[in-house]
Amino acid sequence: MSGRWQWFHRLGSPKWFYEKTTRWLPWLVGAMALFLTVGVVWALLFLPPDYQQGHTSRILVVHVAVAGTSLSFFPLMAVAGTVTLVWRIKLADMVAKHAAPLGAWFTFLTLASGSIWGSVMWGTWWEWTDSRLVSMLFQLFLLLAVISLRTAIENAETAARACALLSIVGCINVVIIKYSVDWWNTLHQPSSPISMEVGSPNGPEFWVATLVMIVAVYLFLAVSLILATRNEIIERENKAQWVRELVAQAN
Amino acid sequence: MIDGIQFNSLGEFLAMGGYAFNVWSVYALFAIFLIANLALPLRKRRLILREQKRRLAALDGREESVRDLADSAGWEVSMTGDEK
Repeated sequence: MSGRWQWFHRLGSPKWFYEKTTRWLPWLVGAMALFLTVGVVWALLFLPPDYQQGHTSRILVVHVAVAGTSLSFFPLMAVAGTVTLVWRIKLADMVAKHAAPLGAWFTFLTLASGSIWGSVMWGTWWEWTDSRLVSMLFQLFLLLAVISLRTAIENAETAARACALLSIVGCINVVIIKYSVDWWNTLHQPSSPISMEVGSPNGPEFWVATLVMIVAVYLFLAVSLILATRNEIIERENKAQWVRELVAQAN
Repeated sequence: MIDGIQFNSLGEFLAMGGYAFNVWSVYALFAIFLIANLALPLRKRRLILREQKRRLAALDGREESVRDLADSAGWEVSMTGDEK
């Protein structure tokens, strides 16, 4: 194994990942804190109330950022799953394993925040005939299925492969979620066209705040997933000399 | 008041134009979501390190007694972890 593929396998080395993320984490956490603070302060204090929704538009900054980011979990798990199936790289499966519960948190918050907003703006907490709502709920169930599949299958390698397959298939639902509002337009509004005009309903005050929040939420996803993956590395690689040294040095 | 802030008083800010429950419950859930998914892995890290440390100590103890035994018998032993 030389030349072209070396970087790929080095990338898959738990030790390489652990050492790199030790150096990246402070920067990622710093950036996350900065974007989160700016996003939340902007959304809560500076965002002008919407001409129809009033102050509930502050909910949408969080809802849109978390909902959009929640759609990246199945593609992420599918890519990691493919790497697991084809190259048997352990690190990919460690990432996939911890992506599933985090994705469930994202999806739950999407549903909850949307519901709390809808309860006053739509006059209903839930609508079974709305394709966006139902396909998002389905994503939550799919993620819970991936999580229980992992615990249900005793052989770790078989479990990893089964989860990888389900993650790849689960990507179909992401496409359905994305286009549900265009294909079957019932209650949930389609994505709003962005306007450059200050003071218009979809003006920069709203979408730049949302953009800041999206970056914040993606950074948070990265930080949380990296922390969980590092834990998994310490546990699974506990026979390696470098992990022994790391454990010995910890207080 | 800082220019651009949409509220004239703290009371008005808390009231959120009548949508206090909706706005604040979503932001509370958001805060729980953020804190939980950072605090839980950090807590788990402490637990894992403590457990692994205990495991290593137990292992060291075992290796030492094997070494003593081997020494007294005059054998050469090498164990995992010795090579690097």
